[in-house]
Amino acid sequence: MMTIAVPNTATRPKLWQRLSFANKTDLVTRILIIAITVALLFYILLPVYWMLKSSFQPNQEIRVLPPIWFPSEATAQPYTNANRLIPMWRYVLNSLFVSVTAAAISTVIACSASYVLARFRFPGATIILGLILLTNLIPAITRVFPIYFFIQDLGLLNSYAGLILAYVGFSLPFAVLMLRGYFISAAPPELEEAALIDGCSHFEAFWRVILPVCLPGIAAVAIFTFLNAWNDFLWASLLLNQGEMKTIQVGIGDFAQEGGGVQYVNAFMAACVVATIPALVVFVFVQRWLVGGLTAGSVKT
Amino acid sequence: MTRQKYLFCYLMVAPAMLITAALGIYPMLFSLWMSFVEYDLLRINEFGTPFVGLDNYVAVFSDPRFVQTLVNTIIFTVLAVAATLGFGLLLSQILNANYRGRTAMRMLVCVPWFVPPAVASAIWMWLLNTDRSPINFLLQDLGLISSNVRWLTDSATWGPFSIPMMSIVAVRVWNGLPFAVIFLLAALQSIPRSLYEAAEVDGASLIQKFWYVTLPMLRPVLAILITLLVIGGLGSFEINYIMTGGGPQNLTNIMAVYSYQQAFSFYRFDLASAASGVIFIMTGFVSIFYLRSQLKGVA
Amino acid sequence: MTKRLYRAGTDRKVLRRHTAMLALATALGTTTALGAFAQDITFWTQPQGDLLAYQDLFDELTSEFREESGINVSVEVINWSVAFNTWLTVAQGGAAPDCADMYWLHSFSGIGAGRYGPMPITEYRDRWPTLEDDFYEGALVDVHRNGEFYGIPWRVDIRPMMYRTDFLEEAGIAAPPDNWDEIVEQGLALTERDDNGNVTRWGFALGANNNPAQTLMPYYWQAGGAMMSEDGRTATIDNEAMRTALKFMQDLVHVHQVTSPEIFEKSADPLADFTSGNIAIVGSTNNSWPSQFDRDYPELEGTWALEINPAGPTGNRDSFSGAGYWGVLYGSSDVDACIDWIQFLSEPENMERISEVSGAASPRRSVMTSELWTQRPWQAVMAETLNYGHTSQHPSAVWNAIASPEPGAVLYDLVYNTVIGGGDIDSAVTEAQARMQAELDRASGS
Repeated sequence: MMTIAVPNTATRPKLWQRLSFANKTDLVTRILIIAITVALLFYILLPVYWMLKSSFQPNQEIRVLPPIWFPSEATAQPYTNANRLIPMWRYVLNSLFVSVTAAAISTVIACSASYVLARFRFPGATIILGLILLTNLIPAITRVFPIYFFIQDLGLLNSYAGLILAYVGFSLPFAVLMLRGYFISAAPPELEEAALIDGCSHFEAFWRVILPVCLPGIAAVAIFTFLNAWNDFLWASLLLNQGEMKTIQVGIGDFAQEGGGVQYVNAFMAACVVATIPALVVFVFVQRWLVGGLTAGSVKT
Repeated sequence: MTRQKYLFCYLMVAPAMLITAALGIYPMLFSLWMSFVEYDLLRINEFGTPFVGLDNYVAVFSDPRFVQTLVNTIIFTVLAVAATLGFGLLLSQILNANYRGRTAMRMLVCVPWFVPPAVASAIWMWLLNTDRSPINFLLQDLGLISSNVRWLTDSATWGPFSIPMMSIVAVRVWNGLPFAVIFLLAALQSIPRSLYEAAEVDGASLIQKFWYVTLPMLRPVLAILITLLVIGGLGSFEINYIMTGGGPQNLTNIMAVYSYQQAFSFYRFDLASAASGVIFIMTGFVSIFYLRSQLKGVA
Repeated sequence: MTKRLYRAGTDRKVLRRHTAMLALATALGTTTALGAFAQDITFWTQPQGDLLAYQDLFDELTSEFREESGINVSVEVINWSVAFNTWLTVAQGGAAPDCADMYWLHSFSGIGAGRYGPMPITEYRDRWPTLEDDFYEGALVDVHRNGEFYGIPWRVDIRPMMYRTDFLEEAGIAAPPDNWDEIVEQGLALTERDDNGNVTRWGFALGANNNPAQTLMPYYWQAGGAMMSEDGRTATIDNEAMRTALKFMQDLVHVHQVTSPEIFEKSADPLADFTSGNIAIVGSTNNSWPSQFDRDYPELEGTWALEINPAGPTGNRDSFSGAGYWGVLYGSSDVDACIDWIQFLSEPENMERISEVSGAASPRRSVMTSELWTQRPWQAVMAETLNYGHTSQHPSAVWNAIASPEPGAVLYDLVYNTVIGGGDIDSAVTEAQARMQAELDRASGS
């Protein structure tokens, strides 16, 4: 009746090749999908391209109207300038340290909490879940002062520990909710009952059976918590805004002048590019777990 | 056995609870408390924080700007969540399909995530500046417009809709899309291939497969995603604050920005907290539905 | 005179060091021990001018000061993007330095209320016996509150008019506007539109930022108005001067259409517009623009100039002025060391070096008449404009809430709704007067 493209992991067809096998309605659908995707890609990439190309242009060329889309002579000077204006690489390392640590801690804590909240009924479970959810409900902006003074009372102002603690606190509720949903949908109770029957303890069942199955979800949560910390400006600027320990986002703020203008637009853009690259690398590294090899094998219902 | 199981449960939850209590619950309660007292930075040293009941809530609701802000917030959230979900579902399918260059595609789609909201706002402000916008120059070159689109400053309105509101929503969606895509992608991975194979045997079209297989399987994850997006949207701050500060004529003002203005510009933390209290009620309302559906699901 | 005083300060320090040494073990009386006893104070400052040069200068200044006094000052640069929230937190009891370069004394000391934030140092005022003669009057207003003295002003944000000489020449205009009527006249001549009606050049911009309150102030003063009574308790904006100023601004936008209606939006960028030729005249410029143009926009050399602000209907040329100052904070670990440091910074030579690097006009008269400030034509204009400087600070802790550049602030709403919104001026002024009075009452504790 019709031929359907059965996905084959051995030979990876190009996106357009998949079109030719489809039936008529599918063809229309697919062309539409591709058209929308191309438009979306333009929308997604335009600002990124703008940032990138401005970081290679002299300031005079950036200011010209109508705007110049392609740098006439690319120069790396803005990057050198950026590094003279702020210790860019040191700040990037600071950011990496803070964000990776915060992501690791909150992922581990969220994993253990969301697993039991997804799987077991125990007294207080509902309240705990409710409380965790509740903390998300007030915008961060009004929590600024209580949290600032809490961190100050702990003596953790202007320390990595204080900032990491804050980030763990902020991403935890999100992480717990996301993972809980994932545990419910991706790891059926049968899996772990089987493990328990095989003589595993609850923890062993969690560690050996559930965690591997849920790796894509965990990877997503790790990326999320990492980027949450990486992209933050507000809290870093309040809790750790001094000396060499600054994060790169606060460092980028150094380009701002009184009144909000930016000195050295191209160097500013260069610093922004540098600030996105480590996040990109971490993402490329972690996104491999988002490929479903693991799940596809173990959860066949 | 049961006691051992409970002990295991509490041990696993304890670290999360401790941190949530200190950095989530305490500041939240503090904020709610501020909304019921006078907490005026200019008077606090002299007059302390006397209890004023619902005065702060009465004060914000009798501010017409706040009421407009409330409407804006709802529209902003609905538009942003709808667009994020729509684009997210589409893009996550594309990133889930199996073809050469998928990893590169994933990276490209996720790039906005690595651009912090503060930087993203700065770049978009540049792209959307009436006289300097490269988009306007492009549209003029293509002959699509004759006079510049005032992306962030046009104060003409259609009901609660306006060009600046649409622009801000577009930036919000731009920044938040990768999160939704990755979240959905992770969920798509857990849908058994066999379900699609069965559907294909039945002769299902792409859209039918999406409607009858993908969507139902995604439902639990979608529920969380929507909840998170709605909560995030209602409390959204940075982009609106940096790009328009709520302007022009309050058209893009949303509650968190209003709250920030009360606190940091006018030193009225009580009114700011009351505005946050209203957000709290709205987000709480959304979460109750979510919680109820979730708690029923706990076997 | 200053020298003698300075020596007195150093003597006291030597004395204190001796006491400290006696109090501790005599065995430690070596040079290393002296190093160990050296006082440490922390000092925060916001960057001005070229970031790198500013940091380098402070490295030099601290090491010179260390040699002279034995006091070790660790300087922390607080960038502008976090400065406001940082000082708001400081005024609330957050982590604070011993002394700092600060601004907006009235609001932050109002919030600190004698416990946190800026600390009065009136008992040290005689360290600067000729303060009134040495500094411009407008700047000194910004370091006094309720009769107390809070520190030494070091930079003035003074805002003369700036214009494009090339455009004026092109339009056959001999001199920039000297009064409000000429602003309208020249604005009309300088505004240009393309075939589609898009404005390609605005003849006149009211100010150099998107802050409605700051934009209003010079025009209101030029029309003869004042914001509040001298005790800071009574709002005085419901008057003819306010109506005249608002009408003038409103007409520029709506009747003459020589000023962009987008000037108060956050996305407005007057610097980019002026440098790319989209604006011909800026009525009240930013104090940092001229030196920034010299440094970053060499291609514009010869196309721009400064002039003293045009006279309003009363002949008044009041120019916006605001001072940043060096002061001490509550909780300071060593007030005497802080005063020594501030006194060191405030020496004429040092203020000249700071002014050179920061590019900011100096509130010290001798700096503005030195060689440094007489090299370029614009510098003479700026020094001259200082004589017309009118402080932008007002004697109420709530002032920065009233003048905040956010919708909902009294002056923002007044200016935005009339000038941009085209609303009725009379009723707007009456309403603003009532709202402003309510705010002042809030701050004065009734």
